[in-house]
Order: sequence, then C-alpha cells, then structure tokens
Amino acid sequence: MTRHHPDSLSLMDYSAGNLSEPLALCIRLHLDECPECRGRVDMLESLGAVMMEQQPKVAIKEDMFSAILARIDGDDTEADSPDGNVGVAPKITPKQSALQKLLGEDINQLPWKRQLGDVSVLDISDRFPGQRQQVVLQKLAAGGKAPAHTHRGEETTIVLQGAFADQNGVFNQWDYVVLNEEHEHKPVAVGCEDCITLSVLSGPVKLTGTFARMLNPFIR
Amino acid sequence: MSTLEQSPSGSEGRKDPWSQLLQKVGSSQDREAYHKLFEHFGPQIKYYAIANGLASHAEELVQEVFVSIWRRATLYDWRKAAASTWIFTIARNQRIDMLRKMQRTSAEMAMETEDLWQIPGENEDEPVTSLHRLMSERRIRESLSHLPEEQITVIAKVYMEHKSHQVVADELNIPLGTVKSRVRLALNKLKVILQDQNV
Repeated sequence: MTRHHPDSLSLMDYSAGNLSEPLALCIRLHLDECPECRGRVDMLESLGAVMMEQQPKVAIKEDMFSAILARIDGDDTEADSPDGNVGVAPKITPKQSALQKLLGEDINQLPWKRQLGDVSVLDISDRFPGQRQQVVLQKLAAGGKAPAHTHRGEETTIVLQGAFADQNGVFNQWDYVVLNEEHEHKPVAVGCEDCITLSVLSGPVKLTGTFARMLNPFIR
Repeated sequence: MSTLEQSPSGSEGRKDPWSQLLQKVGSSQDREAYHKLFEHFGPQIKYYAIANGLASHAEELVQEVFVSIWRRATLYDWRKAAASTWIFTIARNQRIDMLRKMQRTSAEMAMETEDLWQIPGENEDEPVTSLHRLMSERRIRESLSHLPEEQITVIAKVYMEHKSHQVVADELNIPLGTVKSRVRLALNKLKVILQDQNV
C-alpha cells in the first residue's frame, strides 16, 4: 500500500491534462497502484466535466455529423475486408505498462552509469522529446547510502522498485514525493532490493555533504 | 428509446440519460443515441477547443472526439463513470494528442497519450461499486453553484484553458499562493480533498 500521495493540486492538474509528459507519467504510475488517488482523480475529472458543461456552447454545423458517420463507416469497411483487422476495435494495449514501453522489460538491465559506491543513474530525458525537464532514473544499491543533497527547484520522484528512507520517512514502491530546496536529505535504500526511482527535475541537484566537491552524481 | 430523456430515474436506476445513450452506442452501435450525444456534447467540446487556444482546429477536435467515442464505446461502463466524465476525459486526451501531433513529438515517443492519461474505469478490473462516483458528479454540480465566483474562475481556467496555477496567478494578477488557496478551498467544499494534511 502506498503511503505518500500526490497532493490535490497535482491531481487536479493531471485531471485537467495540464502536466508535462514526465510528470503525468509519475502520477499515472502512482494511480495504477493507488485506488484512493484514482477515486480522487475520478472526482476531479467529474469536476472537469461539470466545468465544461457550464461553459458557453458553440454551434456546430449539422453536416459535421455526416462527416463523422462517414469516418466510422470507413472503420466498418476496414473490419469487413479480408485483411483488415484494424476495424472498430479500440486500440487497447494488453496490460503492458507505460513503464515497460518506456524502459523495456527489466529496469535492472538498463545501461546504468555507476556514480559512486552505491549510486547509479541513467538520464532518460531524451525519451521525452520536446520537454525541457530533466528525467533521471536513480538506483541506490540495497542497503546503500546516497550522499546528502538538496534540490534546486523541484524534484518529483516516484519509487519504481524497492524502498528508501530519509528523515522524512520510508518511501515504498509507487510512493510519490516532491522535494525542493528546503529538503536536504540523505536517502538510504532499505529492504533487500536495490531501490530504483524515477525523478523529474526542474533544476539541478546540489550536493551538501562531504562528497560534494568530489562527485556530483545527480548533477548534470 | 425516445423516453430516455424524460425518465432518467426509471427502471435503469441511477443511470443518467447520457450514460444510457452512451451505453446503447457501445452495446448496439445505436446511431440515434450517438446523434443525441453529438448534439449535446459537440457544442461543449467545440467551446473547450476554442478556450484551449485551438480555435482553428475546433471542429477537427470535435470530430476526433466523436470518432474516438464511437470506437471506445464498447469499453464504457456506466457503473464506473458518468458519460459526461468519460467524454470529458476523451476530449482532454484528444486535445493532448492533437498538440503532440502538431509538435511532432508523438512519433518519437514510446508511450501513447493513453498510457499517460487515464480514462476512468478502464484501468480497473475489479467490479467497483461506483455509485458514489455518479453521486459525486451530482454532488459536484450542486456544490459548485454555492462556490464564490473567484474560486470558480480559477478552476475554470485550469480545466478549460489548460493553464497551470502559475499562469492563472499571472493572468489574474494575484499571488500563486492565493490561487492555490482558492483551489484548495474549492476542492475542500467539493469534498475532493481527502487528507492532504496527513500525506
């Protein structure tokens, strides 16, 4: 069970479709495992529907409906044709998660870059073309420690595997947390698995501990 | 079928008329029901497109939304979402899709719009008792009428104009904190906020 959830304003931005793709992914991954937040998003989407209903309406030419019918009739023809299996059937992917599409079957097998002792990182920003935010995977080896650091701007993180702990608590798989410049932390991977997180950064991380001048694993 | 609109609380229980129509589209490709949905939601979606800055593509968006409604209607389950909520999410996703295509990012991305943005009910296998969701739409509609104008204005900009809270703050010339507290107050009254304090 997840214990750290996105706040209501983030869920609202999600339901309105106002988030960047990397941030939407973080929320979506959390939603897939959190019935409580899913219920809240459902309600927020209802709020969107009610807002839409209460706005002005703009008249539509009736011939547009014929155009739409022509399109869906085209669907039927395709479905009837011998080689056409596109048809009416909606494009529903079998339960292959967004994450698998993005990263493949096994996140442990990715080309991780070892930074120092316990920390590996992988920058996946290029998988979100057209985004300005930096997107990184971070892996903290089981039982390992990351150097103390704080954040410039905001860092939104979702735990993909394992768990980490810092002075703010324990963050388990699918927990969602936003850190900013006020949070200095020194995460430790807990449990017997490597802890893997996906983070969306609006600004670079700033090391604060003794390693700061030597190595900047989270800095680009 | 012509009695649908007059008897939303008949033997079909709590299904609202639009949800009944949408289900007919899904179960029997009912084109008359589809046309009624088009007449009701088409003009709303057209305004949604214009408010979102897609004025020159507004009719195109309406078309894409309705084609998508037809193709997905078999997946619609009235127990999991009211038709208006479900259609709002289809409109939102098609709007996102259209922008992605304009920016040509969709071709390069491994994920599709719907991998990121959920359609209510579709990612759930459990037979949820979602009457509370239908109730909640009714409740939201009722409590919205009691909200102060300044709160509704902010919410409308977020949903209809695709604006972040920061942009809304700039436009209304008020601090970001004020925008956020207006939204929180509104969500509180709408009972959307559960326990932010404990999170």
